[in-house]
Amino acid sequence: MKRTLINMSAACCFCLLLTLFPGTVPAETEGVADEAMKDLTTLSPEELMRIEVATVYSASKFEQKVTEAPSSVTIVTADEIRKYGHRTLADILRSVRSFYLSYDRNYSYAGVRGFGRAGDYNSRILLLIDGHRVNDNIYDSAPLGTEFPLDVDLIERVEVIRGPGSSLYGNNAFFAVINVITRRGEELRGGEVSAAAGSFDTYKGRATYGERFTNGVEAFLSGSISDSNGDRLFFKEFDDPASNNGITEHTDYDRSYSTLAKLSLADFTLQGLYGTRTKGIPTASFGTDFNDPRNKTTDVWWFVDLKYERELANRWNVTGRLFYDVYDYRGKYIIDGVVNRDLGKGSWWGGELKGAAKLFDRHKLVVGAEYRDNLHQDQKNFDEDPFTLFVDDKRTSYLWALNVQDEVTIFSNLLLNAGVRYDRYSTFGSTTNPRLALIYTPIEMTTFKILYGSAFRAPNVYELYYDDGRDLRANPDLGPEKIKTYELIYEQYLGNNLRGTVTGFYYEIKDLISQVQETDADGNEFSIFRNIDEVKAKGVETELEGKWEGGLTGRASYSFQQARDSATDQTLANSPEHLVKVNVTVPLMRDKLFIGVEEQFASRRKTLAGNFAKSFFLTNLTLSSRNLLRNLELSASVYNLFDYAYGNLGGLEHLQDVIQQDGLTFRVKVGYRF
Amino acid sequence: MFLRFISFIVFILSVVPGAREASCAEPRKPTEYEVKAAYIYNFAKFVEWPAGKSQVAGAPLNVCVVGRDSFGSALDAIEGKVVGGRKIQLRRNPPQQVPGGCAILFISGSESEQVGRIVANLDNSNVLTIGDTEGFAEKGVMINFFMEEKRVRFEINPRAAGRAGLRISSNLLKLARIVGSP
Repeated sequence: MKRTLINMSAACCFCLLLTLFPGTVPAETEGVADEAMKDLTTLSPEELMRIEVATVYSASKFEQKVTEAPSSVTIVTADEIRKYGHRTLADILRSVRSFYLSYDRNYSYAGVRGFGRAGDYNSRILLLIDGHRVNDNIYDSAPLGTEFPLDVDLIERVEVIRGPGSSLYGNNAFFAVINVITRRGEELRGGEVSAAAGSFDTYKGRATYGERFTNGVEAFLSGSISDSNGDRLFFKEFDDPASNNGITEHTDYDRSYSTLAKLSLADFTLQGLYGTRTKGIPTASFGTDFNDPRNKTTDVWWFVDLKYERELANRWNVTGRLFYDVYDYRGKYIIDGVVNRDLGKGSWWGGELKGAAKLFDRHKLVVGAEYRDNLHQDQKNFDEDPFTLFVDDKRTSYLWALNVQDEVTIFSNLLLNAGVRYDRYSTFGSTTNPRLALIYTPIEMTTFKILYGSAFRAPNVYELYYDDGRDLRANPDLGPEKIKTYELIYEQYLGNNLRGTVTGFYYEIKDLISQVQETDADGNEFSIFRNIDEVKAKGVETELEGKWEGGLTGRASYSFQQARDSATDQTLANSPEHLVKVNVTVPLMRDKLFIGVEEQFASRRKTLAGNFAKSFFLTNLTLSSRNLLRNLELSASVYNLFDYAYGNLGGLEHLQDVIQQDGLTFRVKVGYRF
Repeated sequence: MFLRFISFIVFILSVVPGAREASCAEPRKPTEYEVKAAYIYNFAKFVEWPAGKSQVAGAPLNVCVVGRDSFGSALDAIEGKVVGGRKIQLRRNPPQQVPGGCAILFISGSESEQVGRIVANLDNSNVLTIGDTEGFAEKGVMINFFMEEKRVRFEINPRAAGRAGLRISSNLLKLARIVGSP
């Protein structure tokens, strides 16, 4: 297999740059520098007022209160990730209200509010890392499992914003926007190493270093490596002596490396991320040979992002961003002994400019513009020996967009948030997506929100152009998928410790892109993508969050959701009607030792073959400690404690209607700070 | 695999700390939160607590932080310092019900949803509340930091302080932006 030499060397250059840079930055000359060098606590308030501080960063500055956000938001913090033993972003999302995840033993797929198409690579969810778009430009995929190119230990918090976000973010912000915020060098102030071991010979290591230097440069560097042999699995669909009686070994392996580097100086932040994962395919998807460990996919993600953020004197806050991204997918599929290679290589660059200001006391205005240039959107598929080329498609495209949003304080307890974004694509034309939110707070502990929004998902190049001359045909005339949503939210604080939320939603989705079977004039059958499906979804969600003294915290949610195909009035496949989630942390020793318990229930889901995947009930348990011994962090987790046997849906590429998930597994983890 | 990981760690450890030392020669600007920490030390000096059983000389002066702690190690600089015969002691995320044990309570921006209730619960408990989030002073937080041209300034809600029986020195009041309150 071809190594990603270019990518690796670029990542290394970046590391080198990072380590050299602090020394080369010229010292800034400041009038109060000598004052600042003294012990600050010896200064009087008058003197303190004159001190110019390094980059202004208030954690709260641009944060919106959750109750004022024009959507339904859940925030998961690093503390929760640690206390519940989450290993991947998928684990984190599993604990979030109205989300449910499927794992086909290669990629993880998130369903939201009753809509979850197994095999859609999460193209209807927008994934951001520190505001940088992650979804690639070939399949629009959002990596959530071990394929996510960032170690979850480096997450400061995850903001999950339900509902359409196209009025701000454009493409893919269809059902939800997930913004992953990474930790900062200033917070770390030193080094950290961590090692973990778990079931199926899974090992993981990480080294992280972060610092704010005396010249104002803030640096962050981290590298992670992970290796798992995977489980020995049985699939009854292959229970035949010709295919090893359905038993497969050494095919569920999972290997990944990732590096994150950040460097900030004054108003600039340079960030680089590199992640690669190779996963064996134990399920023999796409008609590959069962139990052949050569079946595998490798996904490489990397980007460099330069951000500029400055508060101007006239109360305008300006943010600019320039980025370059690469996504590289290599699939190796063994079909009847012949090696087939499926490749996707995407690269793109672009820029964003955003201005935010408070005007006339009553308005918070945000205006933005974005340009993205897809340099490569290349797909290739061929058999190695005898060499046969099936697909060799090279594309480029671009898009630009403008958006504006205004938050108007009508009365002190009534906010109107209105936004609209215009997107122009070189592929299909233009789309305009508005959002309106009315937020009413009659008394301090009560909030009502009425929301309306629309969103789109642009057809991707895989759907538009993948044509193997056999059974898959291109359809360059595809248009975007569209969704309109209506949502009513009621949030209530109950006493000092509890917060309750009740949400009702109604979604109308049309022009969904689905693969259909057709027959041409010569009688040949083929598959093609068409904008055909319409779906209506509705549901109610309730959640109760609590926080008590000494570290006792918890949240419990129940979601009832129905998503139906408008044409047939049938419930969609992979759409559980009921979801229940409970997360509780109990302190065993104040501030030092915690037990975190997760309970997750999903009702039965219809499969693609019209059967049902049975409901499941999972319990995860994590014991974690911090500073029990100085600077030492320890945790032990058991997942699926009761060894519940259950399965998830896979996409059409699988022979299995339901794919068996892990039973009881464990993980132990040690971390040390210095 | 494991060897590669070890060599990776060694690489990081060998290269990065070098850079850290190389840059130490230059004068450095303090961070926003270092300045805020120094202010908090000053507030302890310029605010008079009413005599009460928790405020006796010799008892530790507890500085508490609720919510996400943005100070990092910046607050450590004032820990152990003595103000009016009382030693400053840091307590991060004290039990939410009884921040009464705190002489000074810093309310992080992450708590902006609860700030009204936190403040209401503290009424008459002689706790000096401090924040750094826009709008906090209007909600009854006594001292609230804001940024102006890269400098840390503060506003004071004197009525809120008065209700809690705290006396803020005029030396502090004249430097502050005064905010009315509920």
